[in-house]
Amino acid sequence: MSLLSFVFRRVLQMIPTIIFILVVTFVLVRLLPGDPASTMLGERARAADVARINDQLGLNRSIMVQFFYFVRNVVTGNLGTSISLRVPVAGLIADRLPVTMLLTLMAALIALVFAVPLAFLAAIKPRGTADTVVRGAFQVGLSMPVFYVGLVLLIVFAAGLRWFPVGGYGDTFVQHLYHLFLPAVTLALSLSAVLMRNLRAAIIGVIGAEYVDFARAKGLKSRLIMTRHVLRNALISTVTLFGLQIGVLLSGAVITETVFAIPGAGRLMIDSIYGRDYPVIQGLTIALAVVVSLIFLATDIVQAWLDPRVAR
Amino acid sequence: MKKILKAAIVGSLLIGTSISALAVERGGTIVYGRYADSLFLDPVYNDANVDIWILSNLYDTLILPSDDGKGLMPGLATKWEMSKDGLTVTLTLRKGAEFSNGRAITPEDVRWSLERAAGPKNGIWNFLLGAVKSVETKGDDVVVIHLKHTDPAFLHALTVFNSAIMPEKEYEASKGKTDEDKARDFASHMVGSGPFVLKSWDRGSSMHLVKNEHYWAKGEDGKPLPYLDGIDFEVIPDDATRILKLKSGGLDGAELIPYSRVAELKSAPNIDMKLFPSTRVADVIMNVRAKIGGKDNPLSKVKVRQALNYAANKQAIIQIVTHGVGTPMTSYMSSATPLHSGDKPLYPNDMAKAKKLMQEAGYADGFQTSILVLAGNQDEIGSATALQQMWGQIGVKLKIQQVDNASLMQQYHDGTFDMRSAAWTDDIADPNEITSYYVYSPTIDAVHSGWKNEEADKLFEASQKELDTAKRADQYAQIQKIYNSTGPTIPLYETPYPVALAKKVEGFVQIPLGNNIFRSTWLSK
Repeated sequence: MSLLSFVFRRVLQMIPTIIFILVVTFVLVRLLPGDPASTMLGERARAADVARINDQLGLNRSIMVQFFYFVRNVVTGNLGTSISLRVPVAGLIADRLPVTMLLTLMAALIALVFAVPLAFLAAIKPRGTADTVVRGAFQVGLSMPVFYVGLVLLIVFAAGLRWFPVGGYGDTFVQHLYHLFLPAVTLALSLSAVLMRNLRAAIIGVIGAEYVDFARAKGLKSRLIMTRHVLRNALISTVTLFGLQIGVLLSGAVITETVFAIPGAGRLMIDSIYGRDYPVIQGLTIALAVVVSLIFLATDIVQAWLDPRVAR
Repeated sequence: MKKILKAAIVGSLLIGTSISALAVERGGTIVYGRYADSLFLDPVYNDANVDIWILSNLYDTLILPSDDGKGLMPGLATKWEMSKDGLTVTLTLRKGAEFSNGRAITPEDVRWSLERAAGPKNGIWNFLLGAVKSVETKGDDVVVIHLKHTDPAFLHALTVFNSAIMPEKEYEASKGKTDEDKARDFASHMVGSGPFVLKSWDRGSSMHLVKNEHYWAKGEDGKPLPYLDGIDFEVIPDDATRILKLKSGGLDGAELIPYSRVAELKSAPNIDMKLFPSTRVADVIMNVRAKIGGKDNPLSKVKVRQALNYAANKQAIIQIVTHGVGTPMTSYMSSATPLHSGDKPLYPNDMAKAKKLMQEAGYADGFQTSILVLAGNQDEIGSATALQQMWGQIGVKLKIQQVDNASLMQQYHDGTFDMRSAAWTDDIADPNEITSYYVYSPTIDAVHSGWKNEEADKLFEASQKELDTAKRADQYAQIQKIYNSTGPTIPLYETPYPVALAKKVEGFVQIPLGNNIFRSTWLSK
């Protein structure tokens, strides 16, 4: 029951967060230098054309009036129409956001698959050979820029060995998974490095705790000790970190999507910021805010499950 | 005698094989990598090259531009005639020409398309058809365009994308209150008049075009064009990935190859590195207003601008930035633009002359100024960095400001910049477009520079109505002389369009105006 009411409270907290983001985004995009009409029409635009387009877009109304229409539209589920692409923003987001989410999800899973076993391997004998090798390798992974890692993976595994396609997204779900594998690995490298280091330190801390000694003294099997006592407790801080890092992953997706030619939300966001496409920036920010809030919520729920004290 | 006979046989065999090697092959889909996706594929409302450069595959115009970008070829009109007073154009439509849905193209469609394109509230290209007074249809196949005034570039305006012929009935049946709303709806299920039809579009990722089964033009084999079954455009924004995909066989063509990779791709075994002649010019535009932000502006002095021009070693910039691909400019307009004049590179590098001019202008100790470049644009940053060093030698301290496109536009429009990097490509095979923007001050203050020369303005106004080709060429020669010697630009270089194709691709052309023409493209098997 307490977990349920905890979840309910957290969902309620999301509402002011999203409203805050909505207001800030609306104001921030308008504070950026330049306006959609003159950006869209380019340097050849004549003043009369710019004025006409701004008029059509309703951008010559007062900011309060614009905000009123914006809020009214958002509340009724209408995110408006893209200025440069002339298609509904909701449709664009529905096309592009799932791509980025699938990429992020795959990257997160790959990162976990790498990080958890290797963290154990490294933590069992701190400063041993395995620990040094694992930490060294991850240090390299962490310090390489994403676009470089992406390009190297493309050259070796796509163009060279031809195991994977050179960029793109494919048409079917299986093709999507296949196309997203290399970009997900690219994104996962730095995340798994962060997770591995954190989890390793946590495991080392927990292994030395008295309750682990007690469990050993009770004669519990070491496998049970590792999963029930060590891993569960060590994971608490890592789960928090993991949740926070997903937000970072979403932003890292921008570069990865460009290098691998993936039609995701990251590229859409960058293009619309450059184009001052206000409706797309606003709509996408709201959608991303909801996604990130939900990820944080999920993180909190997992944490509350791992450590019931959190939900109290 | 035997030898001669043998040689003749071998010779004829060789000719035979070369002819068969040249014979077109039909079928197949070309996969073409683009750096960015299209935005809005409407001939009238588009505003970017990503749309313009492929629209000619979807819609035909009455007259088509020739492959060299300068001439006229019959399109949906087979004949055209300008009246002696230059105020009426009579066009005969092609018999049997149909839209992609099989409906015959009528004079009514033509009238409606041209009136829509010329509509004062429709898009930003209507000025190209600014001379249109009315369009009249006569019988089954004649369209008469009445002009308000003579326009020497009018026939060329009929080759430009915005005057493309669209189906009135199908367009007007689209949903929407305004014409632009209808354009949006129509773009999602378009019916075209060009060699290809848009089949599907996965925004930001790919676009699939299929052959228009009703297209009128015939190929070398006497059967209807196009030769290809379709075109797959793939959007691959990263240059390195685009080239990698081409090299590994995933693409048949890739556009906008960075100059730094041209030499490498020229020697790649399976790649045909094309450098298509273009009308693209790159320059620096100076703000020549007497004061900027309340302060005296050294760039307002002609001698200072000339000094900066002499101090800029363009040959070095061509080597550094374009890796030798570019060529020096001989006028503000490209050498591929009709009525271009000038055979010598402008302002050969001469430091002594530059210093002397600076002294005469009262800036012997130099001054501080700044240049706006598009953030992340390696060509612009490269040119600006080179200029920074070169101008340092005459005491001019250049600050490079990297900003994004929207900020650039704002500063251009506000006229608050000192200098800016710029590039230009013609959309029409006539010097009037670039001249109206670069020279003629009423349009946009001579590319927002604030430069104004009454004589040049008058010459341009006269040239816009002058039907005598020789007189018009003379007017343009004078305009170019004035602008090139006193204008607000530092002309840097002309560059071709670098397109890398797989060896099997034949018959593809990007014309100097930028249009990607797949009409006669074929793939050898």
